[in-house]
Amino acid sequence: MVAEQRERDALSRARELSLAGMLGALGLLLPIGFHALGWGGKIFLPMHLPMVVAGFLVGPATAASLGFLVPLLSSALTGMPPLAPPIAPLMSLELMAKGALASLLYRRLALPMWFVLPVVLIVDWAVLGAAAYAAAGFFGITTGALKYVWAAIALSWPGTVLQLVGVPLGVAAIERRLPRLALARGERR
Amino acid sequence: MGVAPVLLVEKLSFAYAGDGAALEGVGFSMAPGERVALLGANGAGKSTLLWCLVGILAGRGKIEVAGTVLAANTKAEVRKNLALAFSEPDDQLFMPTLAKDLAFGPRAEGDSPEEALRKARAAAAQVGLAEELLPRAPHELSSGEKRRAALAAILTSQPKVLALDEPTNSLDAPGRAVLAETLEHLSCAQLIATHDVGFARTICSRALVLVRGQLVADEDIEGLLADRERLVAYGLAAPGVTRP
Amino acid sequence: MQWCRGEADGRMLIPIAGAEKGDSPLHRLDDRAKLVALTGFVVAAMLTPTRPVWPWLALFGLLLVALAAGRVKPGLMAKRFLGLSLVVGVPFAVSRLGGEATRLAGESFAVKSLLVAGGFFALTATAHMPDLLEGTSRVPGLSGMSALAAFILRGANMLTGEVVRTNRAWALRAPRARLGVRLRGLVAASISLLGRAAARSDRVGAAMVLRGFDGRMPPAPARALSAGDLAVGLLFAAISLAIGGLGRWA
Repeated sequence: MVAEQRERDALSRARELSLAGMLGALGLLLPIGFHALGWGGKIFLPMHLPMVVAGFLVGPATAASLGFLVPLLSSALTGMPPLAPPIAPLMSLELMAKGALASLLYRRLALPMWFVLPVVLIVDWAVLGAAAYAAAGFFGITTGALKYVWAAIALSWPGTVLQLVGVPLGVAAIERRLPRLALARGERR
Repeated sequence: MGVAPVLLVEKLSFAYAGDGAALEGVGFSMAPGERVALLGANGAGKSTLLWCLVGILAGRGKIEVAGTVLAANTKAEVRKNLALAFSEPDDQLFMPTLAKDLAFGPRAEGDSPEEALRKARAAAAQVGLAEELLPRAPHELSSGEKRRAALAAILTSQPKVLALDEPTNSLDAPGRAVLAETLEHLSCAQLIATHDVGFARTICSRALVLVRGQLVADEDIEGLLADRERLVAYGLAAPGVTRP
Repeated sequence: MQWCRGEADGRMLIPIAGAEKGDSPLHRLDDRAKLVALTGFVVAAMLTPTRPVWPWLALFGLLLVALAAGRVKPGLMAKRFLGLSLVVGVPFAVSRLGGEATRLAGESFAVKSLLVAGGFFALTATAHMPDLLEGTSRVPGLSGMSALAAFILRGANMLTGEVVRTNRAWALRAPRARLGVRLRGLVAASISLLGRAAARSDRVGAAMVLRGFDGRMPPAPARALSAGDLAVGLLFAAISLAIGGLGRWA
């Protein structure tokens, strides 16, 4: 039984790494595609879509790592989002929080998508606000940080709509191909 | 016969959840060094059989590889002796460089980096991969090179049985010839799942035929291929024929 | 790193820093030494006050020396800094309309952003990304993240090829399709791609386990950091911090 459990854990970890890698790759490529089409990254939030989908499909630690890594990798490879001003680090915190929360609520607690997704989006705004306020101090900016955050939220309503539509579609597409993911909700690995 | 079989399968059955039986009572054996073709139309159960042999799918029945019976606590041992080459080599090449990919297995077993690299180089040489390809990323390789790279990756453990799933997929005629030559130089037993009957005939002396999960034939390959009627009944095309 | 060249008639699909493996003093310097240098440079940039101006000029000069040592192509540099122009330029321009304090804050924001971005660019343009990622796997607690990063890069290689092929198929089958049809096709193709990528990830996971993966990636081999490389990194960091310190003291 012990050997069987070890094998299951190893297989589960390997599959999760590979799936997370694919979704992380989408997080790198989608923004490039959107920019190429002239559809603004700040408006449609293309990096958020695969990261939130990942939150619904992999464990919390993997989802958090993915959310943390992808903006930094993208910044290192393509220069966008920039590391300075600290847009990439802010996005790292945002996506890390979003992914981890989605995974905890959907995969561990098996709460329904229609509840989890809006909660994740609202918490995202709170995290962005707090992180931007803290980061602004480093640049000697004492006013306007929260106005920036409010403007970012208002400007990105198409991205919010895209996530509300795209995340359920993406998660359903993958769960259809990998039914074991839907069956494993509520388990603690 | 006197020689213990290197692979023994008895009454192997498997069904996917919600579907009918994918394999039913399959049984056969292979001698050391023997090359056997596993033939069957699409959906006959060839890939399912291979996945059961390596323990990824849990079938009912007995599977014994080089004297070790497949069980929950013997999978690692079995997998050292029975290696599976996937139909899609991209699925088996997952490290940043070819050298790291070939060294992955030995490193996972606990070999030092130097020893793992030595085994990687030896495996690459075994399949005719040039050493200058080792620092390259797998996606930079051609289809034929990837196919050989995936083979090299699983040969590092020096398995006694090599199972190959549709190895001639996306290979052109010269590529198939190179693959045939590579396989002929390997001393391990080989179980080649394929619907490419012409390729099977080139290097295998014996053929197993699966039809809807059941083993319907286990005989000399030439005798099988000479019987057109049976080939049609099994959903196979004779070599060189595009219609049955 | 060539992973984003794709098959689109040889055109570079994505402008990647470090896409071509260069050969310069900075390329040859150990990535860890570069990280030490960068850390000192970033700390100096963040701590230097807005006035006087000369420390900023000195730090920019130091950055240009690093970029010259890396023989970084001016075209790539220009693309990167052009990309920054909006996110830095707009707040700077807006700050000019405010009072003295706002103008100083805007200057500080713009200069610090350019310096830090420039520093990171000098690192990423001259580092071999897979080696850099592998190096992080030896840092305690980061091996999992390092493995994940490697899988992300691998995934990007594979998906780029798939996207190019899908796009080409569309171009051949429906070259004059209306926008609505193309968008529906794009959504359907994306969902199909996602499903295929997910199924592939299952097979890759199985391949890893079949080759002995037990839940942790094998550790990367240790590489010694030469004293000479470390000295260069420390020297650069020390000069940066000295400039910042003098500026603060002035």
